[in-house]
Amino acid sequence: MKTIMDLREDLDTGKVTSNELFSISNKKAHEYQDEFNSFVTIVDKKEEQESNTLLSGIPYALKDNFSTTGILTTASSNILKDYVPVYDATVYKKLKDAGAILVGKTVLDELAMGGTGTTGHTGIVRNPWDKNRQIGGSSSGSASAVALGIVPFAIGSDTGDSVRKPACFGGIVGFKPTYGRISRYGLFAFASSLDHVGCLTRCVKDAAIVTDILKGKDERDMTSLPDEDIKYSDVIDNDIKGKKLFYIKEITDLNLYKDAGEETLEILNKFKEVIEKCKKLGFIVEEISFDEQLLKAIYPTYITISSAEATSNNSNLTGIPFGPRGNGNNINEIMFDARTKGFSELIKRRFILGSYVLQKENQERLFKNAQRLRHLIVDKMNELFKTYDAMILPASGGIAPKFDSEIDRMSDRYLMLENHMVIGNFGGFPSITIPSGFVSNMPIGINITGRVFEDGLTLNIANKIEEALGYKGLIKEEYDV
Amino acid sequence: MVTKENLKDYASKLMFDMDDEGYSRTLKEFETVERHMELIGKIDNIKNIEPMTFPYVIYHAHLRDDIAKDCLTNEEVLANAKDTKANQVKVPKVVAE
Repeated sequence: MKTIMDLREDLDTGKVTSNELFSISNKKAHEYQDEFNSFVTIVDKKEEQESNTLLSGIPYALKDNFSTTGILTTASSNILKDYVPVYDATVYKKLKDAGAILVGKTVLDELAMGGTGTTGHTGIVRNPWDKNRQIGGSSSGSASAVALGIVPFAIGSDTGDSVRKPACFGGIVGFKPTYGRISRYGLFAFASSLDHVGCLTRCVKDAAIVTDILKGKDERDMTSLPDEDIKYSDVIDNDIKGKKLFYIKEITDLNLYKDAGEETLEILNKFKEVIEKCKKLGFIVEEISFDEQLLKAIYPTYITISSAEATSNNSNLTGIPFGPRGNGNNINEIMFDARTKGFSELIKRRFILGSYVLQKENQERLFKNAQRLRHLIVDKMNELFKTYDAMILPASGGIAPKFDSEIDRMSDRYLMLENHMVIGNFGGFPSITIPSGFVSNMPIGINITGRVFEDGLTLNIANKIEEALGYKGLIKEEYDV
Repeated sequence: MVTKENLKDYASKLMFDMDDEGYSRTLKEFETVERHMELIGKIDNIKNIEPMTFPYVIYHAHLRDDIAKDCLTNEEVLANAKDTKANQVKVPKVVAE
């Protein structure tokens, strides 16, 4: 599957029609479904829209936690397994208005909580580069649909790193813009202060094109930002000479990883090669030191805040106005039964944690301290962004894990390397993952996180690095038709 | 110290239950979170930091005008309910006999 711009040219020159493109995508979606399980629902009838944008006639996939009128939307949870929305998410409406063609709704980790692609109610999602490995999550099906070449782009949501981590494991681009840049109206809320809409694409330019269509103020989402008077796709080729990047010593220094596995060491070595290439491009790149105490606290802070917000956001899932009815003699018993049967254990554990940290006696010590820690981390980042234009780091400490992997990845150091991308959610910073090579025949990626509100510059920096690295439009050959 | 009974109580307040192994796994998870959060509590002056509830400071927040619009129809509201009667979602009697 080509990039959006390549397909645009094919459509504009009459080389292919939008009907033909839809048929190709639909056929591939069905062909790969049994093997990879990218979709909850494959749309077999093409939506007919008249429009004249870069996305007109271009097929795409949408994560199954965006509301789509008349199309089953499950959030990959049993408690919503037969829910058919009666309104459109703003993202879906904007894509429809732009003429983009929906090919299907993609599998996610249940209710977008999780990063493995193994917890959706319709089964696990497999990695196109190795079927025995995870694609990551929670935007699992969106990532695999793009990585398989079924669609040139897909929409995901990102609360911790749910767009950027599966992009890394799938060898594609994953971008979440500044918090509020894209309306969340119609996205099933997970943790409202951390939730972002993002996109998965084959190259940085496509991420800019999709974001140009999706961004803007939405009166239905009071946190949405006023539109900027620029198109990101117009600024991604700007000169970057003299722009300043930093990376964190405590996360990337090889000397700190004495007990790490070979793949982690190779990822860190390759990261240093990327840094050298960035310097050759004209970037000024510096290593900085970040308080290790704060870095170690990233993961528990994230889990505490997100679980607390999730507990509250999902209290509407009762099986009464929608969802499967529980059994019972009174309304409480009915709800109790519906929720007991409707949520998997992982979700229940998160909810219990959320409830625990919100208890009056724990709130100060747990929930509020997590929010304070978030503040310290964001302040430190904003301080660094006074000197630097962006942060650059490896997007993951390992390649996509195997399904039966039992490697202990919970060491404090590894947790920092694996979870730093959530900093982008803490501060709402624009953040993008791009492919940067291969380790053990699996794709690896780097992450670039920029100043809040400066989405254009972040994409500009990523685009220049993508050009220099040469891994644009990666796809495993056997899937490229 | 959190006990399994505490966890069952939280689960019951959240209106669900799970099997015993589930509670054991949750308890283990709690120990990890507690250990990490204890470290956070020891950070200098943490109590003096303002808790952050939003990614950045908003200087101008606008609420839209308080005018009803884009309302769902009665049919739309009931479309996903499993039991309905007289244009309403039907549930068993709320007040006990």
